[in-house]
Amino acid sequence: MMIKRLLMAAAALAYLGFLAVLGASYFIGLKQASTWPATGSTQAISDKDVPKVDKNVQQLEKRMSAFQPKGLYIVIDTAENRLTLKNGDQVVRTAVVSCGSGVVLEEPGGKKRSWVFDTPRGEFSVKSKITNPYWVKPDWAFIEEGEMIPKTMEDRIEAGTLGDYALGFGQGFFIHGTLYTRLLGRNVTHGCVRVGDEDLKYLFKAVPIGAKIYIY
Amino acid sequence: MKKLAAFAALVAAGLIGLGWAAGVDKAALAKKQDSLTAEYGLAKEAKFYFVFDVLGRKIELRVRGMVLKTWPIEAMRFWGQPDFSGSVEMVKKTTLKSPERIVIKPGETEAPIVKPAAAGAASTSADYDLETLELRDMPKRFGLDLDNGLHVTVTAKTGNSMGFGARMKEAWRWYVRMPLMNLFGPKKDKGLSELELIIADEKDAQSIYWHLFDGIKGIIL
Repeated sequence: MMIKRLLMAAAALAYLGFLAVLGASYFIGLKQASTWPATGSTQAISDKDVPKVDKNVQQLEKRMSAFQPKGLYIVIDTAENRLTLKNGDQVVRTAVVSCGSGVVLEEPGGKKRSWVFDTPRGEFSVKSKITNPYWVKPDWAFIEEGEMIPKTMEDRIEAGTLGDYALGFGQGFFIHGTLYTRLLGRNVTHGCVRVGDEDLKYLFKAVPIGAKIYIY
Repeated sequence: MKKLAAFAALVAAGLIGLGWAAGVDKAALAKKQDSLTAEYGLAKEAKFYFVFDVLGRKIELRVRGMVLKTWPIEAMRFWGQPDFSGSVEMVKKTTLKSPERIVIKPGETEAPIVKPAAAGAASTSADYDLETLELRDMPKRFGLDLDNGLHVTVTAKTGNSMGFGARMKEAWRWYVRMPLMNLFGPKKDKGLSELELIIADEKDAQSIYWHLFDGIKGIIL
């Protein structure tokens, strides 16, 4: 009986102790969590340093704005499948597009090559503008269809698939037209950016070679 | 006379300078200088970076100083005293179930299926069930580990139904484990820092997962 009471008292004490520790740590935590801290490294500046700091801020802002593209540039959101043509902060035109499917293609047999069909992300520029482009089908296009890879270049060329215009932005990637307009807005491509006919025509005419492309 | 005028001009300039300095929020100016210096270092390179503007309640994806995407933060809570200086790097994204890429092996698996989810002539592209990796496949709750020790949990307010068990586990983590770790945890010397962000729109939460890739750098305001 005595042992039982002692055990109960010990358990109660342990429980109260746990609650006390928890309460204390929660209180400390709450105090810390009451305000979002100011940037950690910020040093207090004296009155005489204010003009200097202000000038530095202005210079930094000026340098930052110099990084921004001049003239028309293209912004592509691969998640939303949206293309925006911009000039500075002004939106010139928006278009629904199709970006990479994210699918992985693995080659059967000996070579065991693989391809990831992602639209590349980063800063690019328009490197070429082509009217009535032909698609030179790469190896993966044949592998995907379960066909033999041709030995001659002529057998790789396919007309009409890429629409009326194409804007190349390097590494074999293009902004081009599509036959599958019902799939615009979805991630279905092998990495290129497919655009509807009217939007593609507008882009092709408006955007000069060298214009920046930001794909994110 | 000239000396007097010069002296008066000097005094006036000094007074204007003092008055101007007194009118300036020095802490805000210093903070702006710090954040701009950190951002300038990131904007120099042609790479995307994020800005966690916690007080401004928004996350931004930027490149070259331009804002590409903004996600509003509905609510936030945090533990610890995070110390942010300069830029940070996102070490990894963590989630219960990572979205998986579909692997096609010709001859072994079939090509991606394109089939309408609902019959009818007026079907749109959104109705098609595609075997591809899209925004809708991204998680609505995930963690972001930053190299300064800050762990950020992003949760969509809607469309992220948690069971009773998961809620209890979450309550235990936030209200018991966190305070205890804050006091006794292994990170005590470094300082525990845990930030939880609630995003109103589930699509926005998924979009954050999509756009913030491992290794991306950023700044926290």
